[in-house]
Amino acid sequence: MGNFFSSMFDRLWGVNKELRILILGLDGAGKTTILYRLQIGEVVTTKPTIGFNVETLTYKNLKLNVWDLGGQTSIRPYWRCYYADTAAVIFVVDSTDKDRMGTASKELHLMLQEEELQDAALLVFANKQDQPGALSASEVSKELNLVELKDRSWSIVASSAIKGEGISEGLDWLIDVIKDEQL
Amino acid sequence: MPPLDKRIKKFLKNSIRVAPKISDKGELAELRAGLVSQYPQTRKDAIKKTIQQMTLNKDVSTLFPDILKNMATNDIEQKKLVYLYVMNYAETHPELCILAVNTFVTDAQDPNPLIRCMAIRTMSMIRVDKILEYIETPLRRTLQDDNPYVRKTAVICVAKLFQLNKDLCIELGVLEDLQSALDDSNPMVVANATASLSEINDMDPNVIDLKTLIQSHVSQFLMALNECTEWARITILGALSEYSAKDSLEAQDIIDRVTAHLQHVNPAVVLATIKVIIKNLPEVEISANGLTMKKLSSALVSLMSSPSEMQYVALKNIRIILEKYPEILSKELRIFYIKFNDPLYVKVEKIDILVRLVDPTNLKQCALLLTEMKEYSMEFEPEFVSRAIQGLAQLGIKYSDERFVQKILDTLLELVERDQDSIKDDCCISMCNLLRHSPSNEKLAEQVCSLLNSWSEPDAILRTDSAKCNYVWLMGQYPQFFPSLQAKMDIFVKLFKQEESLTQMSILITVVKLHSKLPGTMLQHVLELATQETNELDVRDMAMMYWRCLSMDNSEQLVNDLCKTIPPQIENTLDKFSPELLEKLLLELGTISSIYFKPQSDRRRRTITYQNIVKGKHIDELQDLAKNEIESKGNNDVLLDFDDDDDNGEGDDDDDIEMNSTSNGNSHLADLDDLFDFGTAPTTSEINNGVSNLNIRSDSSNTQSQNNPKLSSNTQDLLELF
Ligand SMILES: Nc1nc2c(ncn2[C@@H]2O[C@H](COP(=O)(O)OP(=O)(O)O)[C@@H](O)[C@H]2O)c(=O)[nH]1
Ligand SMILES: [Mg+2]
Repeated sequence: MGNFFSSMFDRLWGVNKELRILILGLDGAGKTTILYRLQIGEVVTTKPTIGFNVETLTYKNLKLNVWDLGGQTSIRPYWRCYYADTAAVIFVVDSTDKDRMGTASKELHLMLQEEELQDAALLVFANKQDQPGALSASEVSKELNLVELKDRSWSIVASSAIKGEGISEGLDWLIDVIKDEQL
Repeated sequence: MPPLDKRIKKFLKNSIRVAPKISDKGELAELRAGLVSQYPQTRKDAIKKTIQQMTLNKDVSTLFPDILKNMATNDIEQKKLVYLYVMNYAETHPELCILAVNTFVTDAQDPNPLIRCMAIRTMSMIRVDKILEYIETPLRRTLQDDNPYVRKTAVICVAKLFQLNKDLCIELGVLEDLQSALDDSNPMVVANATASLSEINDMDPNVIDLKTLIQSHVSQFLMALNECTEWARITILGALSEYSAKDSLEAQDIIDRVTAHLQHVNPAVVLATIKVIIKNLPEVEISANGLTMKKLSSALVSLMSSPSEMQYVALKNIRIILEKYPEILSKELRIFYIKFNDPLYVKVEKIDILVRLVDPTNLKQCALLLTEMKEYSMEFEPEFVSRAIQGLAQLGIKYSDERFVQKILDTLLELVERDQDSIKDDCCISMCNLLRHSPSNEKLAEQVCSLLNSWSEPDAILRTDSAKCNYVWLMGQYPQFFPSLQAKMDIFVKLFKQEESLTQMSILITVVKLHSKLPGTMLQHVLELATQETNELDVRDMAMMYWRCLSMDNSEQLVNDLCKTIPPQIENTLDKFSPELLEKLLLELGTISSIYFKPQSDRRRRTITYQNIVKGKHIDELQDLAKNEIESKGNNDVLLDFDDDDDNGEGDDDDDIEMNSTSNGNSHLADLDDLFDFGTAPTTSEINNGVSNLNIRSDSSNTQSQNNPKLSSNTQDLLELF
């Protein structure tokens, strides 16, 4: 039944409508790298993002409006300006940055409490898996206390934005969830 | 998976194909929803509507965060609109501007040069300090851009940065880049670099050596001159006029190369060219001057066929030039004859030029001008007529021949007899001036006095202090022609206390002078009045002195010596500049100095009040302020198009308050500033902030007046962008 609806939906879907997806996470986690890996399929050299990047990309016939917000302490307070109408949040964690797992976890849970994000799906990338000493996805999941999340579709995927591993798996899952739940 | 009915409902809702339309009402809530819509077209429409509201001077500053979200786009039109908005409202949301930094920096590397320009220009013009922290890379990059259009914008941005943060500008070393831009291959870049450097030099004369830079780039300037726009030409000509040629050859070369621009349609270019020529003219061989003078003359003449406002400026400049080169326009008198549709301010200046221009050795010319001026003096505009009457006397004194003076006097006498009181003052003064020019001509004096004597109440006919003063002086000078001398003096003495200082002085002197002809009691009375009843110190001191003299032994002799001196002959009633002033003014032709006849060095330096930069506040600081604000004011702000469901300002919890401080930005920010200035005990950092706030607010003591300059800067930006 779900499949039937989705395919019919694909045909009828207003071509111009975009789905809003936010990529959040601490600075240096790999958010900007992931955004451009998604958009142009390449690794770009990045600088700390003071502000935001936004790109529109088509994935599985859906138009996605993907926002990559700067993760600096000074910019995090402004994340909230972007919450409205968000279909999903991609939270990126630097799996090698053990010292800041606590901060990442705190920011994540703080964000998920927001009213505007109650219906948003959550995809966590345990990024930089190519690095030696990176925590595994399940270890990251534990650090972030993901099991505590209630009433929310979420998933954690091990990834390496540099090598391009895990990214499309993660996004496939996310798109399926969005189609199922929200459309 | 949600239940089927819910999914169907959602599906139906979402399958509307058309993007929602934004209505024309421009309600803030609707615009805000539109700006974050999931449909790109709706977002763009909302941006357009927002800009529309902005240009109508409605306050749409609260949409700032949502507008910003639309800044990173490939749609150039949309980007321009967002930039327009950001320029206008950045200062109302200094802390949010940080969200634009990434886009600014990215845009400064955009493949499209227009976007690169827009990015760097906006970064350097919004006065938000946080933004300037990130300007280094984009500015450096655009200064070296491949595209001259980008470079010419970037060089101007250096001056803007300098104005906003001098130390940073120096530290970044972009001043060096700016100076090397003078060697750029593109004339527009050279011109803008020159303008930028001059502006920096105006702000602080110590950071660059503008003089030396100009000296070493004269050939670049001369090359660029022919290829750049008219406004850039003015800048370059301005720089050239500050250069002193090494020798007569170089001076002649410069003159030759700029002369073509005397024929430019833009009067500012013409004046700037004239300035360069006049600067170099004294250096060249006299023999070569004739031709140049002719060209200068015809350039000045052509300015007189420009619109009135420009004619006014031209006349002021001609006035300066004439003082250095009195012969330059002597054949062109007719050009300056007044046309019936000239506005008053042009008419008045023209008369001044006419009497300066007329050649006192050319009777025919003087006679023609006399006829012309006579007509002017019978016009109806009082200021014009007054100036024409003065002009007549000036003309008479300039030509000087007795018969001619007689003619002028006849004209004046005729005028006085007309039944028009308003011109009598000027006639009286002018006639006295003429008499002072020909003191030995008793016949003239008799004519004037007999007419003036016929006024039974001169004090009521004359209005100005100086006219009355002249009238009284005349009685003292030619008492023999005033049969009713005593009666007239009586009137003036009676009104002594009401008169102003010149007339009081004149009464005092005349009464003393004529003491043997007038009753002794009058002298006594006037001396008493002048020592006791006046506030004018000069009059009082003078009266004291006379009194002392009169009470001395040989008083008769002494007073005679004092009073019977022959006044010096008036040779010239045209005012002149001092030689130093004239030289300075010649170097500032075509600038505002030439209108006021006040060189820049004499004017007090204008303080640049808009230098203050807007500092963002910390978010927690804002939260506190917002909380206080809401507690004290409740929620009864009547904002323009204030919408309750959207700006839910009931401050129940911290989250709401914070949103409030950002979304209700404009009016709250102003209120917050209020709180900030007076409400808290200042710590050092707060003092800084407070000071900048005070400055901001003194810039614009109320929002109304703030809006107007904004509007005008708006249109300017619009012009720049499109
Ligand atoms: N080794 C490794 N480095 C990564 C990976 N993803 C990002 N980086 C690097 O991490 C740094 C920060 O990345 P960036 O995308 O700018 O992080 P952001 O601040 O979250 O946007 C950059 O030097 C990236 O090259 C990854 O998967 N593996
Ligand atoms: Mg980034």
